[in-house]
Amino acid sequence: MVDQTRREFLKLGLAAAASAVTASAIEIPLFGNQNSSMQTQLNNANTQLANLKTRVNTVVGFVSLSITEQSLLEKIVETIIPTDTDPGAKEAGVIYFIDRALAGDYGQSANMFMDGPFVPPAQTGPITVGTQTYSAGSPKVRVGAGTNYQYPLNLREFWRVGLIALQAYANSAYGGNFETLSSANQLLLLQDLWGNKPTSFGKILPSDFAYEFTFMTWAGFLMDPIYGGNQNMVGWTYTGFNGVNFGNFYGEGKDQKTLMVATTPTRLKPASLAQYQQQASGSS
Amino acid sequence: MPTTITEPAADVVILGVGYMSGVIAAELTLPGLTYKVVAITKGPYWDYVNDFSTTKYDEWGVGLGRKYDSPLPLQSATIRNTPQQFALPVRRYTMPIQYHALGHGVGGAAQHYGGTMGRQGPWGYTQKSSTVTRYGQSFLDSVNPHSDLEDWPLTYAQYEPYYVEWEKAHGLCGDYNGSATNQPSDTGYPWMSQNYPLPPSPLTPVGQLFQTATQALGYHPFPHVSALASQPYINQYGVPVNPCVFDGYCGGPCDYACETGAKANAAYRTIPAAMKSSNFTLVLNSFIFRLDTDPASGLVTAARYYDPQGNVHIQPGKVFFNGMWGYNMIRIMLLSGVGAPYIWNSVPASVSGAVGRGLTNGYLPYKGTNVSGTLPSNGGNAYPAGNGSGGSVDIYDLMDDNFDHTNLNFIGGTEVGAGGYPGGGPGNITFAGSVSSASMGGTFKATQKDKYLPTKTTLSSTPFAHDLPTTDNYIDLDPHYTDIYGDPLARLTYDWTPNTYNGAIYLVNKVKDIFTKMGAQNVTIGSPVPPGGSTHNDWWGHHLRGGCRIGQDPNTSVWNKWNQCWSPVLNPVFNIFGAGEITNTSGDNVPSGTHVAGPQSYRAAEGIKQYLALATPGILP
Repeated sequence: MVDQTRREFLKLGLAAAASAVTASAIEIPLFGNQNSSMQTQLNNANTQLANLKTRVNTVVGFVSLSITEQSLLEKIVETIIPTDTDPGAKEAGVIYFIDRALAGDYGQSANMFMDGPFVPPAQTGPITVGTQTYSAGSPKVRVGAGTNYQYPLNLREFWRVGLIALQAYANSAYGGNFETLSSANQLLLLQDLWGNKPTSFGKILPSDFAYEFTFMTWAGFLMDPIYGGNQNMVGWTYTGFNGVNFGNFYGEGKDQKTLMVATTPTRLKPASLAQYQQQASGSS
Repeated sequence: MPTTITEPAADVVILGVGYMSGVIAAELTLPGLTYKVVAITKGPYWDYVNDFSTTKYDEWGVGLGRKYDSPLPLQSATIRNTPQQFALPVRRYTMPIQYHALGHGVGGAAQHYGGTMGRQGPWGYTQKSSTVTRYGQSFLDSVNPHSDLEDWPLTYAQYEPYYVEWEKAHGLCGDYNGSATNQPSDTGYPWMSQNYPLPPSPLTPVGQLFQTATQALGYHPFPHVSALASQPYINQYGVPVNPCVFDGYCGGPCDYACETGAKANAAYRTIPAAMKSSNFTLVLNSFIFRLDTDPASGLVTAARYYDPQGNVHIQPGKVFFNGMWGYNMIRIMLLSGVGAPYIWNSVPASVSGAVGRGLTNGYLPYKGTNVSGTLPSNGGNAYPAGNGSGGSVDIYDLMDDNFDHTNLNFIGGTEVGAGGYPGGGPGNITFAGSVSSASMGGTFKATQKDKYLPTKTTLSSTPFAHDLPTTDNYIDLDPHYTDIYGDPLARLTYDWTPNTYNGAIYLVNKVKDIFTKMGAQNVTIGSPVPPGGSTHNDWWGHHLRGGCRIGQDPNTSVWNKWNQCWSPVLNPVFNIFGAGEITNTSGDNVPSGTHVAGPQSYRAAEGIKQYLALATPGILP
């Protein structure tokens, strides 16, 4: 269902329309009986807008990933969280979470320190940086640590480079595009990247990219639906996370202190940030 | 076009507005006092109602995006393990442990802490002399090569009244500290002249199990000391406090942002008191970049800061209080030439200076020195309910010199506890232990099913003896990287010390016995990775202790017994005071460096009043 809507979206080339559709209705203040024909036009426009909204789900559709990136990344995230008897990355819309993140602050590395020089971790000495020579090189760093990412690329660029390199490796090591490989080989290939098996990978360390896509896939499964993934809260339902339901969001009448000292768990239907804010602001 | 603006002179200028600065502000603007006090912070005033109560339930934006923390493009820090290495800049906030997050705004880093507290006992203040007396100098030299350990300038008994004031101001919860007698003569535990102002939060089932098991083993358990109000409270400044609501949305998913103000920090305990005084001015969103000094008088004359429009403000003052967090306290002094900068040398006898000296950390150190087990019949809603630091039970019996170290290869020990709310949103829980190649595919996915509704509890602990100061761990200015305004970043040079590792190896077996007594199954100890060139040195940078120490010797410490700067070298400047975890002298000894730093802020407030009363500016007697 989600997939089909997305393809329709692509076919229609409605990326620009997506932002227009997010408007709930067009309103212009009118005074008295001023210009009833304008009112009629307005009503017609709002009807068209409503019709469009039923056709186009604004949660799907892409604002960052290219078409080739979409089909490749779709298979990567579905390898990391496969669909079995329970929903996986596909049903959660993980790819939309990543797409939106790459289009926004995350992709722009907006909260990262991005000044040079850029010196990779784990360099054996001596190394010279500027006028200084360091006999012991640079520190070894855990993958995913705050000092590990030492590339002069923002994360959108990093993903672009990484996806191209991954596809090239799929062809050279497994004889075809990633999307065409068996699911067993798809998982093997991703594990190769964690193990830094590719000797050439677009000037980045394969495990650094592997960290990024593994982390972002799970984030897309588990973060609030407001960011495009975890659609219908399938990730929270799967893990049993309650979101902002602290025991009484749906009138369950549970007391939080009692929950804290209980020895057997109580399953709470999750609630999202948007639901919470609607409740807090008194709107339905 | 940015301009330079000179502000009206103040009596007291406070640099940074976190825990310690809040006390200075509240104490120096009490009714009847006439000091003009100005406090300056680089961030905003987080209002828990408007800023947290409807927006904090957002693990991506808050827990991972760290929107309440200091932006890294504004300022970062660089980190290396040895003086011979290039230091890598921290470039991003990552998962699962959020590396190196500075606080931002009123309340500082306490806006994102869990509220863990606990006094430091008598031994902590005299650990150098006590160790030498009991075990000999050669023992200390052997457990801590290149030792730079020093005693504190005051004893526990001298700090005790300040502890009381600090605990009252912040409404700490607890029930004494496990001492059977609670007598001043009890050296093993922090004796208390009065109990914590609020009772502890209700104990979790695991906490109760720990209590029973440790009692059976002859230990002295007590409820974890927490800064999350367990009841409504009004502190000595008349500031009302809401209690914790136990919603469980604490820790990882929201970066510990507290939507009720139940969690103590300056923004909701002390600064509201200062705000009642017309003598107090709070300057927000302003980045302090320099202290002006007058070489003739040896005094700091003004603080310079950028406002959000880029204008330079000059804030003159008679006395200054450095309450910046961690390395920023050191950095502003190094940038301004205040005090003698620490100069490292591979020969301990040849080091010099004090600003940046004696850096230690307060974070779990060694990969593999953990012990874990499973309680088969204890599950529950530990994730969806609970709070940041209450509900658990601790012992101090394996800490300090509360057991004989004669044939051991470390000093000190650790607080051991269990039963706290585990914390974490779904992202934090899934990524606990880091993301790896094992985090992919259907097998891993299956391990995540109903992870939030556990029918059994995993017990895990990484005990460690505290980190001791050496001459090789320090902070200076980085030669390559600058902040957004062009000033050098702080450079942290640090590697784990043998004392923490050896302590962990010993203590992990003691914890194993406790877990077993609790009825845990499959209790196993990890495979330790010894110190040196380790790859797991990346979690400590946000729990710095020491580095800008108080002490008994002006050659090795920055602050004297009044927390007044007394550097005799290069630039003798004595109208600046300071307090914080970074001023703690002797390394990590208790879970909360903040609780140990707290009394120093009350001490400094007294010192500042005495200084302002001096006819001629000078070092306080």
